[in-house]
Amino acid sequence: MHNRTLYQLTWLAAAMSLGHHLDHLIRHNAVGWPLTDQVNAFTISLIVYPVIATGLLLYHAGRVGPGFWALVSGGGAVFVSAVHFGPAAVEPPELILDHYQPPILGWLAFGWLAAFVAVLAITSVYETRVWWQQRQARRAARPAAGAGSRP
Amino acid sequence: MTATPPAAGQPAVQPQPSAVAADTGVGAAALLVGSRIALWLEVQLLLTGLLLLGGQAATGGEAFNDAAGWWMVYGALVDLGTLGIIFWLLRRDGGTYRGLLGPPTTAWQIALGALGVLAASVPAVVFSSELTSALYGDDAIPPMFAVVDLPPLASLFSVLVVPLLAELAEPVAYLGVVLPRLEQRLGRPWLAATIVVVVWAGEHAFYPLLTSGGGLDLEFAAYRVGSVLPYLTIWTALYYALGRRLLPIMAARWVFNGGTAAALALGLVE
Repeated sequence: MHNRTLYQLTWLAAAMSLGHHLDHLIRHNAVGWPLTDQVNAFTISLIVYPVIATGLLLYHAGRVGPGFWALVSGGGAVFVSAVHFGPAAVEPPELILDHYQPPILGWLAFGWLAAFVAVLAITSVYETRVWWQQRQARRAARPAAGAGSRP
Repeated sequence: MTATPPAAGQPAVQPQPSAVAADTGVGAAALLVGSRIALWLEVQLLLTGLLLLGGQAATGGEAFNDAAGWWMVYGALVDLGTLGIIFWLLRRDGGTYRGLLGPPTTAWQIALGALGVLAASVPAVVFSSELTSALYGDDAIPPMFAVVDLPPLASLFSVLVVPLLAELAEPVAYLGVVLPRLEQRLGRPWLAATIVVVVWAGEHAFYPLLTSGGGLDLEFAAYRVGSVLPYLTIWTALYYALGRRLLPIMAARWVFNGGTAAALALGLVE
């Protein structure tokens, strides 16, 4: 049985990631390969799509669970935060806010980015809780099953 | 109706409106929110009157803005009033204060959850500080903090007592009392959550109120709402993500708000 909320949050995060990459394309700053020759954070971030696709297939097949998704979402939140918000951010907020006319578009793009990171972080918290609850449920079920199998 | 075990992959704690919400309508929710807004206004006006009577300010506008500087202190009165109404509602409708805080949560779950809440609040911190910079200049202190210039004892009170009272009252009022009632009335949790976030953010326009150019400083009020909106959205979403556990959110908010107040009182932020 698969968790419907987990699927919905994963699709939401993927859509928000796509929107943020679209923002990069529109601004045409802080972009890398395949749009330029440079391999940079933009290029590395594109790996998220095969990871999500593979993860969804494995989750559907029952090979990975919410713990896997908690790591993917949490890792994504840390990566995007470090790139955009961290003290050593290579793409600070000004790179978005100052590259749109009228400025409200820059605020929309920046708001989208903040919402994207928030969705990743909240999703990770949710998935961690589900993972923990499943783990507890498995532990609780184990002794009962063991007791039942004794002669 | 028989209880069924949670399906595999589903959270064991299914969202359930708190028991106290069962037999009461949104009237109590409106009373709680309305009284908070009214208290913010009344206390600031009362303090304004006292400052005028004591000759501490020459004009009404000056007294009003001087009173605003005490908002981190008189906020305790608003939160005490909120707690009074919450306990009155609990006595009237049944239920316990602990019941409003969600399912049982161990200390380490609160600590880990609070860390998650703090980490998830980073986008809100960044968004709000960019908004502050855009409106009030680079490296500016948010104006509601800049107006604070209090005697040491009042600063100590605003650091030690107010953040604690705020956590016992504010999130419990909005997420523990108002949200379940709205969910029950509307039948759509997302709509109820959206209304709660908007109203909760709107309340921030009232503390403190400032005057500018002979009228209310509406730009500041709008800034207050806009700067807290990301925080409240994230915390409300986390309330659901944590299986309606309020304690981790309260703990994280206490660290965040108390830390901010302490940094200001100690002069670490200038």
